[in-house]
Amino acid sequence: MKAPAAPPPREVASFRRRLLLAMMLVVGAAAVALLLFTQRNMAASARLELEREFQTSLAALHAAQQVRHASLAERSRALARRSRIHAALEDGAPDLLYPSARDELADLAGPEEGAPREAAPPGLRARYYRFLDAKGQVIPAPNRRDAGDLAPAEEARLSLSVLPGRPQTGYLLRDDGAGDPAVDELILTPIVSTETGETIAAIVLGFPVPPARVGGDAALAGGVMLDGVLYLPTLAAVPRADLQRELKPRIAAAGDRGRFEFDAPGGPYLVFFQQLNPGSAYPAAFEVAVDSLAASVGRQHRLAWEFCGVGILVLAGGFLASQTLARRLAVPVERLAVDSEANRAHWHRAEAALETTSRELQRSARFSADASHQLKTPVTVLRAGLEGLLAGQELGPEAREEVAGLVHQTFRLASVIEDLLLLSRLDAGRLQIQFSRLDLAPVLAALVDDLGALPDHFDLEVLTDLPPTLWVTGERGYLTLVLENLLENARKYNHPHGRVAVAAFEEGEWAVVGIGNTGPAIPAEAGEHIFERFHRGAVGENVPGHGIGLNLARELARLHGGDVRLVRSGPDWTDFELRLRRAPAGEPPAP
Amino acid sequence: MKLLRIRTAMTWLALTALAAAVGRSQAVVEGRVALPKPAHAPVLNQRYTIVSHAGVLSPYPPLAVVYLEGAFPPAAAPAVAQMVQKDLNFLPAVLPVRVGTRVEFPNLDDTYHNIFSYSAAKRFDLGRYRGDERPIPSEVFDTAGMVTLRCDIHEHMRAIILVLATPHFVLSDPAGAYRLEGLPAGRYLLKAWLDSRTTLERPVELADGATLRADFP
Repeated sequence: MKAPAAPPPREVASFRRRLLLAMMLVVGAAAVALLLFTQRNMAASARLELEREFQTSLAALHAAQQVRHASLAERSRALARRSRIHAALEDGAPDLLYPSARDELADLAGPEEGAPREAAPPGLRARYYRFLDAKGQVIPAPNRRDAGDLAPAEEARLSLSVLPGRPQTGYLLRDDGAGDPAVDELILTPIVSTETGETIAAIVLGFPVPPARVGGDAALAGGVMLDGVLYLPTLAAVPRADLQRELKPRIAAAGDRGRFEFDAPGGPYLVFFQQLNPGSAYPAAFEVAVDSLAASVGRQHRLAWEFCGVGILVLAGGFLASQTLARRLAVPVERLAVDSEANRAHWHRAEAALETTSRELQRSARFSADASHQLKTPVTVLRAGLEGLLAGQELGPEAREEVAGLVHQTFRLASVIEDLLLLSRLDAGRLQIQFSRLDLAPVLAALVDDLGALPDHFDLEVLTDLPPTLWVTGERGYLTLVLENLLENARKYNHPHGRVAVAAFEEGEWAVVGIGNTGPAIPAEAGEHIFERFHRGAVGENVPGHGIGLNLARELARLHGGDVRLVRSGPDWTDFELRLRRAPAGEPPAP
Repeated sequence: MKLLRIRTAMTWLALTALAAAVGRSQAVVEGRVALPKPAHAPVLNQRYTIVSHAGVLSPYPPLAVVYLEGAFPPAAAPAVAQMVQKDLNFLPAVLPVRVGTRVEFPNLDDTYHNIFSYSAAKRFDLGRYRGDERPIPSEVFDTAGMVTLRCDIHEHMRAIILVLATPHFVLSDPAGAYRLEGLPAGRYLLKAWLDSRTTLERPVELADGATLRADFP
């Protein structure tokens, strides 16, 4: 069936290619989509995590600042309540104001020179202090060293137009002496007279703002933006200057807080700003927290590359898998294609053979029909001539006997021609059976009668076992012909004084006619061939016949849906059987 | 407490003896100072405190110091007075002394006190000390005027020492009644100190053996 070494047809190859292409496309698209989705998801979650980390760090920073601020504010408040300061202000001793405060500030302002008492943390140590009078103006310190050094211009910035009744927070950008800017946190605490209940003065303490670094590897840097100047010592100078430029308009636009991303050398930065002293009488100062995204961006880049690698691997794997899969999927299709190719060849051959056979059959059938017609006419003419001779007076009795025999032979010839004609019509498929309901019993009885009455040398004994009726469906003429042929054979292949037995009965849905006769046995090897056309058994060499009787009988019986078969053939007895479809008794004829 | 009483009694004894030595005939001034009405009903044995109201320091419940101003011979011996710290308060709240008096500041509390004054009449700072400090920290007040005492540790503690250039002064009772005895005859200015801003005065002429009735105002 299969042509093993034959290369697959072109269509099959292209099918395989298309299948592979489609699978690769699908696999590729799915892989890319999945990778993109995952990558984006991971990038987003990394971003979120970073943001959260930043906020956490910021919150920690704020918490620390708040604690520090609260501590400083509380200490300032305690200071503002101190008796000496009140005494200096209220008991008319302004000259004692700064010296007495210096004593009080000793622990706040820092350790005394030489012997540090208890070292306050650097951020909790005031750098300087000044008193404001009832008009909000700085009361000049008689000794700058006691009150902490401050340039006159910077000192002037501590003054306020109105002395506030509530604590204020401010920021002061100043020169740290080395030319670099430094930011101090100012905490103003009003001093309320215990006598009048009025705010009579205020003390302003200046604390250095410690550079904030949170988050282990210095990821987060905190600073202060004041008067358009960014104080962020932990950030390198170049991004700081850029950031300062960037911050100004954003602060102006956003108000008291905001966040944005900022690209500068050293990686992109996440920037957060928030006003430190909302509602303060001092100029607004903004806390600026900067987180470098460089590490995160690097991580994301690395991740992206890893994803690319994984994607390529997945794609390659997918392509390989699809290649294998396509080949395996294509195998049955290819086999089918090869098979169908072989089948088609077979089919073509069979068709050709069928064509030839059919043509030959038609030819032979046509030949038979033509021959029958061609023969019928001369036989009729011959018989008419012979009968004319018989009718004439010229012939003597002997000759008359001879001519009578010849006439009889013309009848036989006509019968053979008739049979041939019938056969040819059968072969051509042009024979139409007119089915009708028919009682076979009287037909059979008549034929048996004829058989017994035939005047010949056989002198046969005819035994019958016939039912009163035997309903079948079929056409009377053809069925009569079948029975005639069978009975004729029973007579012909008999020996003188032999017997013929005819029995009919119903068996289930069949009507069966059995015809047996004495005579020589049909050899077993000839058993099936006796139904072939023009076959004559070896026994019948001296028996007149043409070898078409049995063939015709079987063909006709089969056209009626029945059959003729040889039941048995033994020494001196042969049984044939005709089976026909039984028609139910007493019912109207079938259509 | 006992010590205080003894010392106060001794002081008065000395003053009385002095007056007796100057002359037998002595004048007396008595009267009533119209004190501001206390915000709430006076409580028996109420401790006096110094309160500030609208920038004015005054004793509470109201109290007046009545003194006779004039030229008097200097004191023969320096006087000694006491300003006690007890229960985180000064006692008395108002202490009038003659110029040149040494005032001792015994600490009767279990905690530290740091008495100081930035007043122009007397600036001093005793530093931190406990009750067992000996000698008892003291200061001599040799300038007339009002001295506001504060404690550096206890911001609420306040007292007034009224340094007067006269040996003749007296504290009124809570109702404002006063009586000055053993006064030399002559023309003087009688003053009544009410608070840090208010000192009433009226000229008086004292005659020997006579008792003058002088009410403010």
